[in-house]
Amino acid sequence: MSPFWIVLLSVSAGTVLSSVLACLPGLHVYNVMGAMVLGILALEETAFAIPSDVFLPAMTGMIVGWAMLNTIPAVLLGTPDESAMFTVLPGQKYLMAGRGFEGTMITAVGGLAGAFFLVCVVAPCAPRYLPVSQQVLKGHMHWVLWIIITFMLMSEWPKGGNRGVAGWAKFYDAWKTLLAGLATFFLAGMLGFILLTRSPVSHEVAFQNIMPAFVGLFAIPWCLLNMISAADVPKQKPAKSLAINGDVILRSVWSGGLGGGIAAYFPIVTGGVGGMLAGHATAQRDERIFIMGQGVSKFIYYVGAFMLLFVPGLNLTRGGGAWMIKALYTPAGKTDYYMILGSIAVASAISYLMMEPLTRVVLRFIDRYNYRHVSTVALAIIIVMVVAVTGWTGLFIALVGTGIGLLPVLFGSRRLNSLGILLLPIACNMSGFGEVITGWLGLT
Amino acid sequence: MKGFSHFMSGVAVASFGPWAIEAARNGNPLFFILGGACGILPDTIDFKFYRFFYKHDVYVEPDPQAPDPQYVADEVARTIALAVDEKRYIRLKLSSVRLGADFWQQYAVTFDNDKLEVAVKFGPVVNTGQVPVEGTENRYPTVARAKIKAKVIQTYDAALKVDIFDGPTIGFNPLPNGDLDLEFLPWHREWSHSLTVGAILGVLVGAVAWLASGWAMAWQCFVTIAACYGVHVVEDQLGHMGSNIFYPITKLRTPGLHWMHSGDGLPNFLTVWISCLLIFWNLYRGQPNMTYHFTFLHLMMVGLVVPGLAFGALRWLLNRGQRVEVAAGDDADDEWNESKAAG
Repeated sequence: MSPFWIVLLSVSAGTVLSSVLACLPGLHVYNVMGAMVLGILALEETAFAIPSDVFLPAMTGMIVGWAMLNTIPAVLLGTPDESAMFTVLPGQKYLMAGRGFEGTMITAVGGLAGAFFLVCVVAPCAPRYLPVSQQVLKGHMHWVLWIIITFMLMSEWPKGGNRGVAGWAKFYDAWKTLLAGLATFFLAGMLGFILLTRSPVSHEVAFQNIMPAFVGLFAIPWCLLNMISAADVPKQKPAKSLAINGDVILRSVWSGGLGGGIAAYFPIVTGGVGGMLAGHATAQRDERIFIMGQGVSKFIYYVGAFMLLFVPGLNLTRGGGAWMIKALYTPAGKTDYYMILGSIAVASAISYLMMEPLTRVVLRFIDRYNYRHVSTVALAIIIVMVVAVTGWTGLFIALVGTGIGLLPVLFGSRRLNSLGILLLPIACNMSGFGEVITGWLGLT
Repeated sequence: MKGFSHFMSGVAVASFGPWAIEAARNGNPLFFILGGACGILPDTIDFKFYRFFYKHDVYVEPDPQAPDPQYVADEVARTIALAVDEKRYIRLKLSSVRLGADFWQQYAVTFDNDKLEVAVKFGPVVNTGQVPVEGTENRYPTVARAKIKAKVIQTYDAALKVDIFDGPTIGFNPLPNGDLDLEFLPWHREWSHSLTVGAILGVLVGAVAWLASGWAMAWQCFVTIAACYGVHVVEDQLGHMGSNIFYPITKLRTPGLHWMHSGDGLPNFLTVWISCLLIFWNLYRGQPNMTYHFTFLHLMMVGLVVPGLAFGALRWLLNRGQRVEVAAGDDADDEWNESKAAG
């Protein structure tokens, strides 16, 4: 078989597989890829060794499919991974208005627009300009993390203090949410210090050690909230048109491209932060732009970060997918770069086409069963996934994460504060005083 | 402007200080954090602190058990009468009506100057996402009306709609001709949005820095804080609402230049993007041993002009023959909604 067909089949298989997996709540594509990496490494130097022409496009397809379709559980089941967190509220608004299909498809159009932007705009410029920016920005990554933390904490506004006369009582009522947000950030940060310094998870699955905490912080609280308070989901109406035009797409690309680009390029800045930045860079008067911008941001975060590994002359590894590939393969110049770009384009088209039927399947599922029961099943799947990948220790970490992740749910503060789990310890480490804090905590 | 634009402008201004770059290269992010924080601080002061201590003359707090639009109309009319009779500035607080954990009763207040009436319409119940709950649209079909004693002049089209979280404050200012000038969110962009307050804050933090680290740190902190705080005030001046630029020397907001609304997409994005480019340029200038070299003009061409032209051309191509409708904005309304929506 010619290399063209091998690549095409591999990327198609990877995309279809991850598109289906993306609909399962709680399962992250990196968990599956991690297991595949272990398998590929085990087969190395045997008769069944898997060539890079197979696993590179397949894994590209998996990341693209995931980046596009993980909107489905986020919007329709309310079980987002961290990068899709900002699609949940507007997405559920669509769902409760009987327009869940429209909500997910608008995000998918955003993903497709992100793919165009990445392959047709960023990719041709990247080999020329990204090495320059890398040289300028090296040594400055730490303060970028600190200003992101500063913005994240400062840009949350109070939600209480709505009634009563002016004074301290009103101020305290308003600040309850903000204090809960700060507590969430610092508690998550402490958990992060523990997991990154002395993870209790077995070293055999060390690359998954943060996964149970993420599931606990982000996915489980949504499930619990849906189980406790979910109203009946109304009958979903299929949309004849998404009512979007070129202007909406362009504005989504500029906001999502900025947020997702920052998240992809800077270390530890995750898709959730990218989504937040995309949301803040968007003119908020049009909700479609916000939702589509989230689709763009999420896609560029996952796929763009992966693509950076292959940019000739850059030598930059960002995101879990790239780190896993790096364990298997060292990119070799323009040939690999073009193959990856082609794979991204093909995978984007396939995953976009899969979006509609898979959304319909999940909507039919929701229509048939009570939403509370759907959330219960989603929670059960998540717990099974955590135990299967990281064992009972992982489940314990997930429970601790859930405790912290419930704070924003209970107090109405911003859920993104849970990202303190990565931002705080890494920013401290990059600024050179992480060890002082781990010393105070008795971890080192 | 939106909070993120102010924040990035602050970081960009901070990056012009060579000391900030030098400190950052040595692992100290202080000046950049100060820059971003002071860039957004005037709005933080207003929305997170000052508004909870701002005293009102009349509080309109509809009963969630039995929401009554006539009560709201009567109270607004009474407030106007108070301003007219006592010939003084009167502040009215329209409180939100929370019906449950996630449900709010929406209502709107409008003034009909021809009939000298205030009209209050209770709309649908909305959830925290501001989505109407089906079947609640016509629970209160009647429009409550009350006679008002003077015309109410709205200088901008702030919709007096109350729904989620906090309700707005309205100030009624008697004019010499007997009309009342309606001021939306009078506690916003008052003393906090002034260059003098930025300078005073810089002096205070500078004094602490002087005690802690000496003179160099003190003036560097002062310059960073005053400049980054100031850029917020200057940017807000580009909009409609303006700021009280030299409080306490000036007592009122100086009207803005009307170049943009604070929620407009393009100006906000351009501010963020140009800030990123300026930060990049300043980091480049402060980076020793660069193997790549470029000029400021080159950076602006590659980073701004060429992408801008490409974007414009693409937008024209995609929107040919279509009518692109962009919702009209309003400075106060945009910022008020941003404070409620930023979750």
